[in-house]
This record gives sequence, structure tokens and C-alpha cells, in this order.
Amino acid sequence: MNKLISAISLILSLSLMSLEARAQLQPVTPPAATSPDKKIAIGFLELRNDARYEPVRAYERLILKKPDHPFAGAQVGIEDAKSQQRAIGAEVTLERMTAAKAEEAPALLKAAIERGMNYILLDVPPELYKSIAETAKGRDIILFNVSAPEDTLRRDVCARELIHVFPSQAQLSDALVQFLVSKKWRDYLVFQGPDPYDDLITKAFTKSAQKFGARIVANQRFEPGTDPRQREKNNPALLSAINKDWDVTFIADKAFEFSRQVPFQTVKPRPVVGAIGLETVAWNWTWEHNGAAQVNSRFSRYAPNRKMEGADWASWMAVKMIATSALRSRSTEFKPIRDFMMGPGTFDADKGLAVSVRAWDHQVRQAILLAGDYYVVASAPLEGFLHRTNELDSLGDDETDTPCHLNR
Amino acid sequence: MISMKALRFAGMAAGLSLAAGLVFSNSVLAKDTGYIFVSNEKTNNIIVLESKTLKLVKDLKTSRRPRDMHFSDDHTKLYVACGDDDVIDIIDVAKLEVIGKIATGSSPEAFMVDEQKRRIYVSNEEGSSMSIIDMDQQITLAEVPTGAEPEGVWLAPDRKTVYVTSEVGDLIHHIDLEAGHVIEDVVVGTRPRRFAATPDGNELWVTTELSGEVWIIDRGPFKVLGKLEFLPPGMRKTDVTPVGITMTKDGKTAYVTLGHAAHVAVVDVTTKKILNYILVGKRSWGITLSKDEKTLYVANGLGDDVTVIDVASRKAVTSVPVGRIPYGVVIDE
Repeated sequence: MNKLISAISLILSLSLMSLEARAQLQPVTPPAATSPDKKIAIGFLELRNDARYEPVRAYERLILKKPDHPFAGAQVGIEDAKSQQRAIGAEVTLERMTAAKAEEAPALLKAAIERGMNYILLDVPPELYKSIAETAKGRDIILFNVSAPEDTLRRDVCARELIHVFPSQAQLSDALVQFLVSKKWRDYLVFQGPDPYDDLITKAFTKSAQKFGARIVANQRFEPGTDPRQREKNNPALLSAINKDWDVTFIADKAFEFSRQVPFQTVKPRPVVGAIGLETVAWNWTWEHNGAAQVNSRFSRYAPNRKMEGADWASWMAVKMIATSALRSRSTEFKPIRDFMMGPGTFDADKGLAVSVRAWDHQVRQAILLAGDYYVVASAPLEGFLHRTNELDSLGDDETDTPCHLNR
Repeated sequence: MISMKALRFAGMAAGLSLAAGLVFSNSVLAKDTGYIFVSNEKTNNIIVLESKTLKLVKDLKTSRRPRDMHFSDDHTKLYVACGDDDVIDIIDVAKLEVIGKIATGSSPEAFMVDEQKRRIYVSNEEGSSMSIIDMDQQITLAEVPTGAEPEGVWLAPDRKTVYVTSEVGDLIHHIDLEAGHVIEDVVVGTRPRRFAATPDGNELWVTTELSGEVWIIDRGPFKVLGKLEFLPPGMRKTDVTPVGITMTKDGKTAYVTLGHAAHVAVVDVTTKKILNYILVGKRSWGITLSKDEKTLYVANGLGDDVTVIDVASRKAVTSVPVGRIPYGVVIDE
């Protein structure tokens, strides 16, 4: 081993001699003088009774998951930004705006824009994006999608004022298939639920499988329930009794009730991924690299009863992108901040590769985590999946994959 | 919280009774053992190695998550910041055992000791602050707010100024110790970590982990002079995550550990040229030069070992298994 190390370092030191002549000191421009009475006001727009945050129940008294609005993530972002205020030269503030009804959200947004607010984190259901984007059109505003993965928001709503910090469905499913293919698990049995969202997830997964040379062996539609007459549709063992072999079972199941019955119940011992087992996420509380442990720890002060999740990360990240852009553009004005964020800006996301905004659809390119119950098994992009400009663009819609071209 | 207070009071009592005698009585025990001390974050211990044979001398249990270490000037004591117990353990170097604890802020990471003023300056990673601790009374005199995740601490030779990095804030804080607060910030690269300085104390070098650089700051006007970028051959830019840094006593050469890129960069301080890259282990962080500056020791956080480098030939000679997630290395000599 030691000989090997010496041999390698010998080769390296030989190959390095050419580098010696390269002077590396690069000039750095000093920051501009700053004024303390300026303000960078950030809003957080959410919807009361948003169905996405309903508790996931097995029965009335058995609550499986208790999701919550990611406001705490934004609060951590503000705490972090506060310590940069002196250097930024402006106070960074956060205001929570809750629409009582879906129809009220665009009006709340309009009022905030008229008050001079330039940055708003959007935590609203995907159906509202169209009307919100219309309200924001042409205004000095950046709207940060912090919780909606739907590809249609990137491809069809495709608004100049939007930045999608939350990963797209395409990024999430590409990450999953990259991982499976890296294990040489290429044949998938799909269990698809009845919700329209399950159809979206399945379509994204199928597209990712095609992209990375994997196959859907069978797509079994399930119906949650216990009716014995429906057992061909509600029993995981019967659903998996197909006449072909497969490597991995993928579940598309927004309701989640069926998902929890699948692990250990298929006829063959095959790992389960998707809605349960191995999940693809923007963030996971067990991620311990790149300073993630400290972020989780700061988060727990604002939300002591739950673990930090993807939408929390996206909210934290959105605030961080605003503060960092102010710091780096040496300005508190909207235009230089926006130009930095949409242009050369790269941001430390506490999950490996620095994130940045894709010019074509304003999706934030980012690493995706593959999380088991108590461990992040891998982080995508997986080694070996290359891209001509940025490895992070091996995940999700590349410029040629999307109808949205905000850069043209 | 209760336990921390209790500790402080206990410490205060002990400190008062011991303060007078400590310095004299212990200095006679210093014996330059040549021992190498490696702190290990995950196994809550310091692995003590004999420097010639690299054989294990002692597996020294500490408080949880030991990280940065510093000797007292006379080397009779070793201080180690223990992040998960919010204390700095005091180790008797002759006996190789923990003889006391000093309470800090939340999750202490790095620190500097000023024995003349009897102060410890410690960054509290989760407290977003730097504590100023009275070593004799063992009480916190002040907690100076910093950016989130403060880490590197460097005490200027005039003992009036301390510099602290904020990993999240991308800032170097300039703290005036008399005023007791930050008087100036300098914006550097992404995720600034640790410091080294030229012997005259005029140039401050700081590693910025995520942007893969070392930023060089002129302390006179407290402004950035420039930055160095690293890229060992065959490595991806994104793996270059500089963290540890040390300089030779003559201020001519700096050594920088490059984290996931598994190399140590050798830099000519005067010309600011990168001279060489030396292969080490996975996620190399802590780095220490032996007193004769002939040997470098590098803690490989994700290799659970320490790489020993021959400085003259700029080659890794061997590597020694230590505890899990080794953080730093110091030598009693």
C-alpha cells in the first residue's frame, strides 16, 4: 500500500513539473462601501389548508406522516443572512403571508409587489402558479418555488420571474435511475396508484429509464383496499406475481397507504424504491457532509418537532441565494442581485456541488439525495454520468429537453 | 444547561485554588515526549503515537467529539475542544489523562490560547459565536456573536485582535478584543475554514473549502490581496476542498490539505506559486509540521488514518490507522 502511494505520488510529482511555472495569485476587487439603513425584504407566501400538508393517515388515529409548511427553513436562512448583514449593508427581513383561500394568493402577491417587495418564496399548490406568474409578469420580482416538483411548472408555465429551487420531478427520477443503473439494476416493476399525481411520477420515471437505458418490465395499477374481490389490485404479492424477473420495485403512490405494505411482501426479494424504501429527495436529515449536520441542527431550533426536509432546504436555499447574491454583487438593489443570481451566481447548497440557476427554465441545478430510512445511500449525479458542461445537468431537463427557453 | 453552569462553578472554585501554583509546579514535568496526538471526532478519543516507531502509546478517552488541540506554552498540558460536550478538555501530557474541563459555548471547534493574558478564544460552531474564556477562573467572560458556523480562530501577535471565519457567512471577522465585538468583515470565497499567517503576522492565509481556494489577506488595511486556486492533476474541481493549512517557521512554504481531492498542496509563500501536490488519504483536513520541519502529518477524516509525509522528497512515507474521523494532529516536542 505504501509503495503504491509512493509510486502514485512519484508519477504525480513528475507530471506536475510543468505546473510549477503557473503563478496562481489572482486579483480580487474590494467590496463597495455600504449603508446600514437599507433593507432586503423577503416574503413567504403560503395557502392555509393546503392539501399537500394534510397529515398522512393510515386510520383516523394512526398518523404516518405529519408534513408542515417549510417556513422554518426560511427562518434558518434569515438567521444565517443576519450575520452577513454588516457586510451586505442592508437588513434582511422575512414576512409570512398566508392566503386564506387559493383565489386570494395572487392579490396578496400583488399587494406585496406594490409595497416594493422583490423576493417571495412560493409555497403554494402547483395549480396556482399560472395566475401567480401572470400577476408577477414584467415586475421587479423573483418568485422562488420552494415546494412544487411538477415538471409542467418548468416546461409550460415557464415564467421569467420564477426560480425553481425545489427539484423537478425529472431531476428526482433521473437521480433514482442513475443510482439504479450504477448498481446494474435495470429491470423495473412499477406499482402505479390511482391518483393523477401517480401518473405524473410514473411518466417521469419511465422517461428517466429510457434516458439511462433501463426497462419497465411491467406497470401494475393498484387500488388501495382490503376487498378480497379486488385482491389482484390490492395485494402486493399477487401484483408482483408476474411471469418475468425484475430487479427493483418502483412505487408511484401519493396517498402512501398502499406503499407501506409493499416492502417484504413481493413474491421475490427485490428492493423497493420510490414512495418508500429508497426515496429521492432534495434534503434528508441524515445527510452529514458539507456542513449539513449544522444546518439540521439550526433547523431544529425553529422546528423542534420534525426533521428538515426538501422544501425546508429549498426555502433555506432561496434566502441564502438572495443574501449571497447581495454579498457578491456588492449591491442591495434588485437588478444587480437578480443578474448575479440568474447569471454567474453559484451557491453553497451544503450538498456537494455548488448549485446555480439554469438559464433555460430557471430550475436550480443541484445534487439529489437517495435516502434510506437512516442513511443517505448515495448522492446524484453518480460518478460516471457525465455532461458536456455541468454534471448536475445530467439530472432533469437539459436545454434541448424542454419547450421552455427563457434564455432566448 | 444545568450541568454547564455546575461545571463553570466547579471550575471556578478549582481554578481559584490552583491558579497560583499551576504554572510553576507543572513546568518541571514537561519532557518533550515526541508523542503525536491525533483527535478523533467519532471515537471520542485522542490516539497517542510514538513519533519514531508510530506505535500506539495510549488510546486516551476524552469528552465527545474532540477536535482542535493546542499545548500550553510549556507543553505540560494539552487542550482539546470537544464539540458534543461543549467543553475544552485539559490533558496532563505527562500522565496522558484528562485532568479538567472548561465549559465553552455550543459545539466548540477551534481555538487559540493566550497564556500571557490567560485567555482562550474558542469558536462555537453551533452557537454562532466566539467565547472569550478566562483560563484561571474557567468562566466565559464574553461571547462575541459571529456568522453561522464559525471555525478558524487566529490570534494576532499583538494579542489585541482575533480573526474568526464564518463558514456560512463567507466572511472573516476582525474582532477587537478590547471592544469585545466584530469591528470589520472581509468577504472571501465560499466556506472559509482555517488560518495560517506569515511569521511577521502581516499576511493572513485562509482556506475556502467550497470555492477550492486560499485567500490571502493583508492585515494592515485588512483587505484581500488575492487568492490561490488548486487543482491536482486528475482531480475534479469540485473535489478540491481545502481545509487545513500550515506554514514553515521561516514563512517560505505553506502546506494546504485539499480535503476530498486527497492531496496536500505545497505553496511558495513569497511567489505565491503552487510547487507541488502530495497524495494523501480521503478527506484530508488537519495538518502539522514536526518541529524540525522534516515531517508532515495529515489527518484523513474519511480514511481513519494519518499520512506521514517526508518533506524533503515531498512524498507520503506511510500511513497509520488511528480512531474514526481523525480531525487534528499535534506533536509534543
